[in-house]
Amino acid sequence: MKIIIDNLKKTFGDKTAVDIAHYEIEDGQMLGLVGNNGAGKSTLFRLILDLIKSDTGHVLMQPSNNELYQGLAHGTVDPATTEDWKDWTGAFVDESFLIDYLTPDEYFQFIGRISGCTQEDIDSFLAKYDHFMAGEVTGQKKLIRNLSAGNKQKVGIIGAMLLQPKVLILDEPFNFLDPSSQSAIKHLLRDYNAQTGATVLISSHNLQHTVDICPRIALLEHGVIIRDIDNADGQASAELENYFEI
Amino acid sequence: MTKYQLYRLLVEQEELKDKRHPMFEKNRFMKLLMWFMVIYYAAILLLLGAILPMGMKGMYPGVAAFHVMDGQLIWILLTDFWIRFVLQETPAHQVRRYSLLPIRKNFLMNMHLLRMGFSPGNLFWGFMLVPFGAICVLPLLGWSGFLMWLLGWWLLCIADGFCYLFCRALCMKNFLWVLLPIAVHGALLTLVFLPDKNLLDMPSTLLLYGFASGNILYFLGIGLLIGLLYMANYKLQMRMVSLEVAKKEEVEMKSTTQMNYFNRWGIVGEYLKMEIKLRLRNSQVRMQFLMGIFFIVLFSVIQYFSDVYSGTFMTSFICLYDYIVLGMMTLITVMCYEGNYIDGLMARRESILALLKAKYYFNTALLTIPFLIVIPLMVTGRTSLWMNLGYMFMTAGILYPLIFQMAVYNRDTLPLNQKLMGKQGNTMQQIISIVILFLPLLLAKVCVLTLGDVWGHLLLVALGMVGICTHKLWLRNIYTRLMARRYINMDGFRSSRNA
Repeated sequence: MKIIIDNLKKTFGDKTAVDIAHYEIEDGQMLGLVGNNGAGKSTLFRLILDLIKSDTGHVLMQPSNNELYQGLAHGTVDPATTEDWKDWTGAFVDESFLIDYLTPDEYFQFIGRISGCTQEDIDSFLAKYDHFMAGEVTGQKKLIRNLSAGNKQKVGIIGAMLLQPKVLILDEPFNFLDPSSQSAIKHLLRDYNAQTGATVLISSHNLQHTVDICPRIALLEHGVIIRDIDNADGQASAELENYFEI
Repeated sequence: MTKYQLYRLLVEQEELKDKRHPMFEKNRFMKLLMWFMVIYYAAILLLLGAILPMGMKGMYPGVAAFHVMDGQLIWILLTDFWIRFVLQETPAHQVRRYSLLPIRKNFLMNMHLLRMGFSPGNLFWGFMLVPFGAICVLPLLGWSGFLMWLLGWWLLCIADGFCYLFCRALCMKNFLWVLLPIAVHGALLTLVFLPDKNLLDMPSTLLLYGFASGNILYFLGIGLLIGLLYMANYKLQMRMVSLEVAKKEEVEMKSTTQMNYFNRWGIVGEYLKMEIKLRLRNSQVRMQFLMGIFFIVLFSVIQYFSDVYSGTFMTSFICLYDYIVLGMMTLITVMCYEGNYIDGLMARRESILALLKAKYYFNTALLTIPFLIVIPLMVTGRTSLWMNLGYMFMTAGILYPLIFQMAVYNRDTLPLNQKLMGKQGNTMQQIISIVILFLPLLLAKVCVLTLGDVWGHLLLVALGMVGICTHKLWLRNIYTRLMARRYINMDGFRSSRNA
C-alpha cells in the first residue's frame, strides 16, 4: 500500500505540528520517523489514521496492483472520507488504543473476532509472538491495566499486527521494552515487512534501532520533513548523529 | 510559609482545579442553570419563610408559630442530608493529591473538614429561616433569641453535614452503606408516623427553644456532637486516604469468563461482552450501574406500597420512572467511558455502530427487570399490565432513541475507576435529561386521556414498537452524525481523559 501525503498541514494555535508539502511512502517500504519532542511524529500518525483533522491537504492510501487484484481495495483511499482503510491498517500510538479492563487474551480475541477471525486463526498468529511475549502477556489472569508498561506496549504492538495489516503504524514501539524485547521487536518488524510486504511506519527516539531496521528515514523538525535519508546500507547513522549532536 | 498562607495557596489551587477543568469552560449552560436553580430555590425558601408564619400561626392555639416550625426539624434535616448526596463532595481525594509533598496530612484533612463544615451551603436554609425568624422569633424573644435560634439551626445543619460526610465516605467504600442512613432515617420516621402522636415533635421544639433561650448546655451539647462527628469523620477519612494510597489493586483476577453465549451474535455479541465487562471490572461504571439497579428495585418495591399514594397519578409516575431510571442514569453519558479508548475503537471499521447496537440491546434487555418484579402486582390487579407494557415499550422505542442522541454530542471522557465528584454533564446532557423527565409523563398522559387506560397504553406500546423495529435505522443515523463530528468528539475525549 503506497501512502501519499499531499499539502498536509496541522497547527495547534500558533504552533505548526505538521507541514508537509508532498511525501510518498512506497508500497512495502519501512519508514522510520525521527525528530525531537514536538517535531510532529505522533501528530503525523494521527493524521494518517484520521484521528485528528488536518487544516489543509490529505493523506491517500494507494493499493498496489496486487492488492487491487486481491480485492483488498478498489482504488485510492482517503482515510478522511471512507472507513475502507481500517480493514488493512493496524496501529498502536498510545494507551488510548487499549481497552484496559480486558485481559490481553480477551483483547486479542476481541480484535480478531470483530474482524472475522476464528479462535484458531488468533491462536496460530499469537503463537508466532511467543518469544516476544516471553510468557508474560497471554495466559495471565491480569487485566491490561495491571500489566507493566512494557507488557502493555507488547499488547498494543501485537494487537496492531494481529490482522496482518498492509499498513502498520507504530509510535515509539521500543519504549518501555527491556533490551531483549527491543531486539525481538526489531526482528519481528523486519520479518513482518519482508514476509507480508506491508508498508511499515515507525517513529522512535532510539536512533540506533531505527537505523538498524528502516531502509528509509524521515527527519522531522517543527512538523516539516527536513531530511529524507536513504538508509539502504545503514549510512544514516552519521547524518542523524550529526543532526542530534550526539 | 505560615499555615494561613499555605491554606490560601491550597484554596487557590482547588479553585483553579475547578476553573481549569475542561468541562468547566464548555459548560456555560450548566453554570447558568446551576445559578438559576440556586436563585430559584433561594426565592422559594424566602417565600416559604415569609408565608409560613401566617400558616403556622393559628395551627395550634396557644403555640407560637416558630415552635411549630421547630417541630418539623426532622424533615429539614432529612432533606438537607439527601440533597447533599447530589451536591456535595467528600474531601478524601484532595488529601491524596498532596500526599507526596511536605504538607502534613492532618493539616490538609482538618482544612478540608473545616471548609466542609463552614461551607456557605450550610447557610442555605437561612433563606427560609431568617425571614421566618424575623417574623416569628424576633418579636417574641428579641434579637438575642432570634440570633441564638438561627445559630442553633446552623449548628444542626453543620452536624447534619458531618453525618452526610461520614455516610458518603462509607458509601464510597461500599455502596451498601447507603442502607445505614436509610435505616436510621427510617427509624426516625417510624417515631414520627407510627405512634398516635409524633414523638419527635416535642424534643425538636424543646431543642430549638433551648438554643433560642441561650441555654449554654444546649450549645455545649451540639458542640460536643459536632466534635464527635468531626473526629469520626477525621478518623474514617484518614483511614480511607491511607488505604487508597497504599492500595494495591487486585492484580490477579480470580477467574475470567469467556461468555461464549454471546458468540452467536457475531460482532455485536463481542461488544455485548465488552459492555458486561465494562460494568463488572470498573468501579465507577459498576457503581453507576448498581445505583440504577437499586433505583429500579426501589421504585418497583414502592409500587407494592402504592396505596400510600392517593390517586393513580403517583402510581403511574413511579411505574414510569421505574422503567426509565436506568437509562437516565447510565445512557445519558453514553460514549463517555469509551472516551478512554476511543482511538482504538475509531481505528476499526464501524466499531462504534456495533458498540451502540450492543448498548441498545443490553439496556433494552434490562427493562425486563422492573417488569418481572411487578408481575405479582399485575396478577393481583394492583397495577395495570397495559401501563407496564406501555412504559416498557415507550422507554425502549421512544426514550432510548432520544437518549442515544447523546452519543453524537458527548465528548468528555469519564474515568472508569476514579471517583466522580459532581460537576458532570454538558449542555446537551442537561437538555436531554430535562426532556426525558417530562416528555414521557406528558406523552403517557395525553395517550391515556385521549384513548383511555387500555388503548392509551396500547398506543404507547405501538409507538414503542416502531422505535424498536427501526432501531437499526436510527442507530445508523446516530453513527453517521457521530462520525461527522468525530474530530471534535475525539479532541474532547483526549483533552478530558486525564483531567
